[in-house]
This record gives sequence, C-alpha cells and structure tokens, in this order.
Amino acid sequence: MRLMHTKLPEFIQKMYNAVGRAKGDKTLQISGLESLHSAKMQSLRTGRIENAVEEIANDENVANVELKVLPRIPETMHTVLVKGKDADGKTTKIILEVINIIHPTEETEFDGCTDIEDRRPRIGLH
Amino acid sequence: MKYKVIPEGKIDGKIIPVSVAFIDKKDIEAEGISEDDAIIKTAKEFDGPVAINVFDMDAVTTTSDGIVAEGAIVRMGAGDRGHVNKEFGILPMAEIEYSEERIKNEPHLKQWKKYYPGRKLYRGPDPSKKLIPVHNVVITGRTANNNSATEMMNIVTMDELIFPILGQLQCITHGDVLVGLTGEDISVGIGMTVAEEFGRVFPHPQFPAGSTAHNSGDKAKTLKKHIPCIVCDKKIIAALTIKAIEAGCIPARDIGCSPVVLSVARALGAPIAFERITYEAQAELDSIGCTREWMQVKLGLSKDEIIARADDLIPGAVGAKKFKADEIVFEREV
Repeated sequence: MRLMHTKLPEFIQKMYNAVGRAKGDKTLQISGLESLHSAKMQSLRTGRIENAVEEIANDENVANVELKVLPRIPETMHTVLVKGKDADGKTTKIILEVINIIHPTEETEFDGCTDIEDRRPRIGLH
Repeated sequence: MKYKVIPEGKIDGKIIPVSVAFIDKKDIEAEGISEDDAIIKTAKEFDGPVAINVFDMDAVTTTSDGIVAEGAIVRMGAGDRGHVNKEFGILPMAEIEYSEERIKNEPHLKQWKKYYPGRKLYRGPDPSKKLIPVHNVVITGRTANNNSATEMMNIVTMDELIFPILGQLQCITHGDVLVGLTGEDISVGIGMTVAEEFGRVFPHPQFPAGSTAHNSGDKAKTLKKHIPCIVCDKKIIAALTIKAIEAGCIPARDIGCSPVVLSVARALGAPIAFERITYEAQAELDSIGCTREWMQVKLGLSKDEIIARADDLIPGAVGAKKFKADEIVFEREV
C-alpha cells in the first residue's frame, strides 16, 4: 500500500530532494498546497512530478524552480463546516454548507513562455 | 472573418472586465472553418482576457424569465493572452428539439410555436457534454464566460459584467443599449426564472414561473447591485414582453414573475397568476416595491404607449446611459 499513495510531507520533501539532486545550487518554491493539512498524494504521479522538477532544475538556464498546484477542473465544489464552540472548546453545533469556487486556469501562469510541454492525461483518462 | 467586439476597459466609468467578441455563424461559414477554430483564431487577436460568443441569428433563444427572442448564442468561448484552454475554453449550446410535449412542459415556448415555427432554439449546453460540474461556464486563464455567455468575469481582478442576451443581440443588430449598474430590480429579476431543460443557468427544469431561484428574501436585491451591466434599451424588452403576453403567456404561470414582466403586465392590464407567486418570490418582489397591491393596479395602456414610455414604466439598470450599440461595439476583421 505504501506505493499507492504518498503522504503530503513526503511529497513536499521529494520535490526538495529532486532539486537537491540537480546540478548547481538551485532553489524551489512550492505554492498551492497551503490549505492542505493532511492529504494522500498519488504515488506514481508524485514520481513523475519529481522527475519533472529534477529535469527543469537540471536545465542550465534555470536558477530557481517554482512548483504551483492548481485545481485541474477550474470550478471546485467544497463542503463548508460552520462550527460553534463553547468556552471549553467543545463543538456544540455544526452547519454544513456548500460553495462552488471558480479558479483561473493554467494560462494565467504561463508568463509569456512558449515552451510548454503538456504531460497531463486528458480529463477522464487518468 | 468579420467579428465585433466591446473592448476591455471602461464605458461611462463602468468597468468592462474582459473584451466581449461576437461572431456571426454565417461569417464563420463564409470562412470555411469550424466554430471552434473561429473562436481560437479570434482569441489570438487579444493580448488580454476575452469572451467570445458565436451567434446564429436565424435561431431563437429565451431570456431567464422566459421571453423568446430572435438570435441565439450557439457556442461560447473564453480566451486569455491568445490562448483558449483545450478542455474548458469552448462549449456548444444544445439545440432544443421541438415537440408538443415540450410546449406543454415549458409553456413559455408557445411563443416559439406562434412566432418562430421551424426556427432552431438554443439556450444552455447539454450538461453531459461539459467538464465543469456546476456552472454553464467556459474558462481560460483569467476569463470566465459564465451562465451560457451572459455573465463575464476576470477571475484575477474579480470584476464582473452582467450582459443579458437581449443586450448582446442589440450589439449585433446595431440597436440601442444601456450601460449602467445592475441594481436591485435586475438582481431580483434574474432569479424569477422559468423551468427549462438545458437552460441558460440550470441544466434541468428547476424553478418554474412564479418561483425564485435565489430564495434570498430581502437580500436578493443586493446580489448583483453594484456590478456593471449592458442591457437592451427598455423599449426592446417592453415590446418582446408584450409579444409574449399576446401569445397567451401569463406572468407567473407561463413566463417568470420578474419586475419587468410584472411591470409590462400591469401597464397593459393583462392578467397575472397571483396565486402562483410563491411566498419566497413575493418576499423578494416586496423588497423592491413590487407588492401585491402594486401588481393589482391595471394601467390599461396601449402597446404603443408602453413602448413609448418604456424608460419610465420598466425597471432596470441604475445610473445607466443610453448608447447606440455602434458607439461601443467595434467591427474588426481577422
């Protein structure tokens, strides 16, 4: 089962390790995972991303690597918990709601770059 | 290929958050390319966010409150910096098949039967053909072209434009438009829908005439209040609503109980299905002064008088300025 999923901290560590393996003294910034506290990441996909990070880091023109995680579907549906807590911190009431959030797609992050290699499978072919 | 555009920027101080381009299907056919390629080709002309709507002016469509109009959006697109997202950037609208059963289930379509027999009808997309779960939206980069291409948003600046279908049709047909803020009356009105299969906002029949999709009491009027809008001149919506009523559509039974529909019915002295206006819809209408007592007044004006006095009789955009559409829409070629 260890191969089926990767823990969130392991995912992050693997990305830093990938940059560390590359030649030179390069840095990595990760964003888009800030609101995740606990998560299981796809293991095989983690490996592919790790390879991509190392590949980019090994490019002699690259000084810094950015890894950004965006919603794959640009409208995400979320459950909202509204919790009431008493003075002792005990949860006394919860209301469940839903909210749909529309996000920009990846084009917003292209920065005018034209060398873009799309390695994602199409939706439904994961 | 010819197309028209309202460029991103400002009109009379109102923010237009993305460019809005209109392409006539006939101009695409003359070019011998697909509608998708026409959207992609047009998007390349823009260094910023752009919503791109393809029209079939021989087809018909419906407004959210069930008024049938000539000219329909058949495909919507979203572009940003020349890109169109491969998966989420383009979506076709579904052609609605005519049947007597459909007219029975969607009684506002008696207008389609009476005035536009044989014409194709489009509203929203087929939900089974879209990848985005809830909204009828296309997205590329910063651009969201939402509610079947009638609300455009720059998702980064989060500025939005309400651009109902009748306003867009005026832009294509060299008509007149109002540019203003959406205000309370339209905020309430857009919730007074009719139940439709593959509708502009809802994929399946959900909120029938007389009810409210918003169900937000006296807060519904605040929904889009401060958002810029481009809408048709009031004489246009007055004339179309009169035409709907003359086809036998009764407000709150066959067509929605929006403030515009109710104002026209009241001015004509036409019947309103009061008993079908739900408690929740009435609460929203009360909050903008469309009380039951107000609705029951019959002005008994003629059709021509209502159209001539539409600016006074019909509620709508706030702080709006009237434009010849050609003053804000530019013809271009790609």
